[in-house]
Amino acid sequence: MAVDLQMPILVVDDYKTMIRIIRNLLKQLGFNDIDDAADGQEAYEKMKQRRYGLVISDWNMEPVTGYELLKQVRQDPALCKTPFIMVTAESKTENVIAAKKAGVNNYIVKPFNAQTLKGKIEAVFAD
Amino acid sequence: MEALEKIDLQNVIEFLEENRNRTSEVSLNDVMRLAEVMADSLSEVVMETKPDITEEMMAIAFEIARMKQEIKKLRVSDMKHSRIPEAGQELDAIVNATEEATNTIMEAAESIMAADPSDIEAYQQTVNAQVMEIFEACAFQDITGQRISRVISTLNFIDDRVSEFIEQVRLRPEEEVDEGPEETAEEKRARELILHGPQLDGQGVSQDDIDKLFG
Repeated sequence: MAVDLQMPILVVDDYKTMIRIIRNLLKQLGFNDIDDAADGQEAYEKMKQRRYGLVISDWNMEPVTGYELLKQVRQDPALCKTPFIMVTAESKTENVIAAKKAGVNNYIVKPFNAQTLKGKIEAVFAD
Repeated sequence: MEALEKIDLQNVIEFLEENRNRTSEVSLNDVMRLAEVMADSLSEVVMETKPDITEEMMAIAFEIARMKQEIKKLRVSDMKHSRIPEAGQELDAIVNATEEATNTIMEAAESIMAADPSDIEAYQQTVNAQVMEIFEACAFQDITGQRISRVISTLNFIDDRVSEFIEQVRLRPEEEVDEGPEETAEEKRARELILHGPQLDGQGVSQDDIDKLFG
């Protein structure tokens, strides 16, 4: 995996169980510096405090969704280059197209497995 | 004037007097009851003057009685006070049970991941014990399956009664179609932020299709 395993990763999801699953999968893939946030607002605050190498975010969260976070991050000159993967149950074509248009680097539909997550992270950093 | 004198207004007056001091809102039942009292009061005079109108009045009275029966069959009180709250409680219990089981399974998996494999005997004991925990936690599926069946049964109950009611009161399609209720703040948020939630099998795009889009 031609990816920096030391980079800090921010996992954003309102379900603690999902954060725990993604955290464990990332650990299995060799990542150790993993932070988390419960919604887009908390994630954005954390991103302003610390430079993350990758953001893995859910879409449907309150009060600020992952989609809003993505748009906010892409509009922020200091954060706009941060690789961003959407991991979500939103699997309608319009969601995927909207996320791509907003600048998402990759898109994973839940439920997913470790192999898919690994493949998408590799694809993002291969670009 | 002669005809008007024959109208038995006594029942109408009594009905209105009985309800004069009521503070609650007027229900559909009240309207139907008033219509019945009015129809009874007018029946004598109408029968003497226009037989055609009499028939029409009787048909209306019959329809009112029939509609009352249909409303009774809906068992609204049973739905509102028993079946719908119970279905909500079942769904809450499902959420709690799945969360509890997931946590137990994840804790077991994390214990296995963290176990030291250098001591093979101890490692094997840890793995066996945690695998048993996982098996036990999976029992939630049986109970949640039964709970889901009860929720489905409630939804079917409501569906059957509402469908039958619509059929019996002979709602015409053009009466069913209206502008719809005003969009709620929650619906507006869902529309603007493209929140659809999980799709059923075959309805959303597959991961392969998404990969082609990003390929």
